[in-house]
Order: sequence, then C-alpha cells, then structure tokens
Amino acid sequence: MSALAATEAGSRGHFWRVFLIGGLISYRALFYWINPWQYVPTMLAAPLFQILFFVYLGRAAGVGSTAFFVVGNSIQICSMSGIYGMTMAISNERQFQTLSPILATPSNRLAVFLGRGLPVLITGFQTTCFGFLVSALILGFRPAPAELPMLLLTVLVTAGSCTGFGMALGSVGLRVRDVFLISNIAYFAVLLVCGVEVPLSQLPGAVRGLAQFLPLTHGIAAGRLLAAGRGGGAAVSDILLELLVGCCWAAFAYLLFRHFERSGRRTGAFDRL
Amino acid sequence: MAEPLRWPRVLAIGWFYQLKMQAQSGFMIMTALVQPLIFATIAMADQQAGTRSLPILYYALGAGIMGIWSTVVFGCGGVISWQRHQGMLEPLVMAPVPFVLVLMGITLGTATVGLYSMAATLVWAEVVFRAHVQMADPLLFSVSAVLTVVSLGLLGLVMGSSFVLYRNSNAISNMLEYPVWLVTGLLVPLSLLPGWTRPIAYALAPTWGVQALRATALGGQPLPDIGFCLVASVAYLGLGVWLVGKVEHRARRTATLNFQ
Repeated sequence: MSALAATEAGSRGHFWRVFLIGGLISYRALFYWINPWQYVPTMLAAPLFQILFFVYLGRAAGVGSTAFFVVGNSIQICSMSGIYGMTMAISNERQFQTLSPILATPSNRLAVFLGRGLPVLITGFQTTCFGFLVSALILGFRPAPAELPMLLLTVLVTAGSCTGFGMALGSVGLRVRDVFLISNIAYFAVLLVCGVEVPLSQLPGAVRGLAQFLPLTHGIAAGRLLAAGRGGGAAVSDILLELLVGCCWAAFAYLLFRHFERSGRRTGAFDRL
Repeated sequence: MAEPLRWPRVLAIGWFYQLKMQAQSGFMIMTALVQPLIFATIAMADQQAGTRSLPILYYALGAGIMGIWSTVVFGCGGVISWQRHQGMLEPLVMAPVPFVLVLMGITLGTATVGLYSMAATLVWAEVVFRAHVQMADPLLFSVSAVLTVVSLGLLGLVMGSSFVLYRNSNAISNMLEYPVWLVTGLLVPLSLLPGWTRPIAYALAPTWGVQALRATALGGQPLPDIGFCLVASVAYLGLGVWLVGKVEHRARRTATLNFQ
C-alpha cells in the first residue's frame, strides 16, 4: 500500500470514528433526556398524551378521522428528538464551554457535525414507532399491513429531515443566547403549519407555501397515504420531497455552523454567552 | 407590627416581584403567549373545518386556561428546586416570615403571568376568527378569571412542594401539560372522555375555572362552578401549607436544604 493510500484509508477511518463514536459520546453527554427518569416522562409519556389530546380534539370538532390524528401526531413527535435533541447536541457545547476545545481539534467538521445527528435520528424513529404501537393498542389504529415497511421508511426519512432542521436550530444556538426559545416555538409551530392537526387545505395559501419547505409536511402526507392503504407508489413522491427538504436543511445547517466557526475564530468569541 | 399583619405585605411583594421577573422571561412569554395562540388557532381551525359547532369563544377560553396551566406547571413545579439552584433557599427559609408565604407569592405571581394567554386568545378569536367576544356577565367573568388564577397558583404551590422530592421535576412538568388539558375539558367536552377521568377532572381547579368562565361568557349558571373553584383553592392551600411545612422540616432535620 502506498503512503498516500494509507493516509487516505486512515483519514476515512478517522472520519467514521469521529462520526460514530464522537456522535455517541456527544449524545450521551449533551442529550438531557437520556436518563430513564427523564426519557420516559418526556420522550414517551408526553408524546402519548399529545396523540390522545389531539385525537379527542378532532372527535370534539368532528374533523378528520382517528387515523388522521394518529399518523400526524405519531410522525410529528419524532421532531421532539430532532428539534430539541439537535439543539442540545450542538448549542450545548457553547453553553458548557466545550466548543473551543472541539473546534481546536483537527477533526473533520462534517464528521463532528453529522455524527451528532445519528443517535438523535434513531431516538426520533423510536419515539414515532412507540406512538404508532400505543395508538394501535389503545386507539385501534390499524395501518394497512402491506404498507408497514414503507411506513417505517417514511418515519425514518422524516426523523432524518427533522434532525436536519434541528441541526440548523442548533447552529443558530452557536450565536443566539436563548436558542431553546426558538426551538420551543418551532416545535409548536410545526403542529399548526405542517398539517399535523389541521388539514393543509384549511390553511391560508402563504402558510401552505411555507409548509412545503419545512420537515414533516411531506412525511406526514406520505404516512397518511400509506396508512390508508393507498400503495407505496402514491407516497414515493412525498417521501422523496421529505428527503430533499431534510438534506437542504442539513446542508444549510452545516454552512451556518462553518460560518459561525469562522466568525468565532476571527472574533475569539466561541463560548461567549 | 404584629407578625401576621405583615403577611399580606410579604405575599403582595413576593407576587409583584415574581410577576415582574416572569414577565421578562422569554420562556414564560413563549409559554403564556405563543403556545396558547398556536393551540387556539388549531382548535378554532378544526372547529371551522369540522361538523360539530362549539362557539369559537369556547375554544378561546379553553386555550387561555391551557396557557395558565403551562405557566403553572413549568413555573411552579420546580419552584423549590429553582430557589435551591439559585442558592436562595437557605436565606428564604431563614427569613422571619413563614416560608410558605414566600412560595405562595412566587406561585401566584407565576400563575398571574398566565393571564397573558387569556387576553391573547380572546383578542386572537376576535381579530383572526371574527368571533364576537362579548361576555354575558363581565363582572362575574372577572371574578372567575381572578379565582381561576388564584386556584391554579395554589395548585402550583402543592406541585412545587411535592415535586421537590423528585430530582427530575422538569420531566414531570413536561409530561403533565397534555393530560391535564385533556381531562379538565379545556378544549374537549368532558362528556366525550371516558367516565373514569371524571373524578380526576373534579379534583383539578382548571375544570371548574373553565366552566365558570364559559358560563359567565356564553351564558349559564356560573355560581356552582365558582363555588367549587373556591373550595378547590382552600383545599390546595391547606395541602400546600402542610406539604411545605413537611418539606421544610425534613430538610432542616437532615441538613439537606441546599442539596441538589
């Protein structure tokens, strides 16, 4: 093996090590809700009550079906991990004054950045699966069995796009003092804007337009088609759009992260709160 | 001045300072203003899209109390833990006034911030959803609103003193928003919920508060609901005083006042 090839292989190995191990360590260190005493009430119980609340609200108003609210809310709850988890995973480095040491290392920035997303994505996927499972048990939610693999793929893609969106919010947290305020507003705003609780057709045109650029909108639309047994073909375009939205948000987040890194180096203000 | 004569002043000053502090907290403004507006919009939009027609004002009032409950659950649930975190618990316990009065000022002040949400959802209903916001009995509506805030503040006192035994009290707060919104009938009529939820609803002040507000706004008999809200407040006060005394005594005896 030539020296150049060995260096390239070493560099690739380093990338994956930072991506996987670094991502896992940062998740364990920075994700507040990893402790079971936090995880169960926050990531399982609260989302379950959210599903129940909106299913009953729908029944009270006589709008939508149980499946409409179960699918919308079960998919939306993955954004709890995507939005809050990624905000914690990136901006808490600044809060805990550990951002400077990380940015002083020669590690690949893309590996540092994306590695944090993987555990968050898996957590979001788990939360949504839990939502579907409990809805099946207590609300009688029965998606078409043949569509389950595609439904799971939709959930995975949507959890990924929420993670990309959360990355952007987390990057904003490198500069803004109280980024959790923005994350809170974002988490609740998607309930309204992305067609989770209200059919998109009922929303004003401008809001519908905005929804096309946000995570969840296309994923939930695909999820509803699949749960209704309309076939994977009908949902493919929505799944691809969700993937595209997620990739765009992740790319934007990475650019934002590098921009704040450069400006932080210039002004010597990485950890300033 | 005799000691008990100072108590209203302690309560009033604690309430006022807490109100000033919370009114400047971005998180509280989000909780009391932005979040209820989002929920009010969802409920009103669903109402317009749906087949059952409850008045828009029904949802506006419910969403307003949802906001008060959120400020209480997040602002009061960790009240003792927060004072401890800030290093203020020992000076407050040592102060020559009953500790429960200090905590009560804090929880009532926090609940009062929730009035933002009531005002915001009513204005929202009028401006955006063209609802005709006119109260059937403005005087009793004001009485009901004040009583609802007081009862929720006192419920916050009970929560704050019981959550202190649980290290992850913020996780309980995260979990408690939706179930209380649901079982107390803030947006969903109690008649649609399973029967076993009824006793829980009756034990919680938001149930009586929202019923009193709806009766005074939309027309009805608010006095029984106002009465039950009053009874709930007295019960919470008694329970809160007892719990705070227990917690304070235990912390003094075991010298764990400042332990995280």
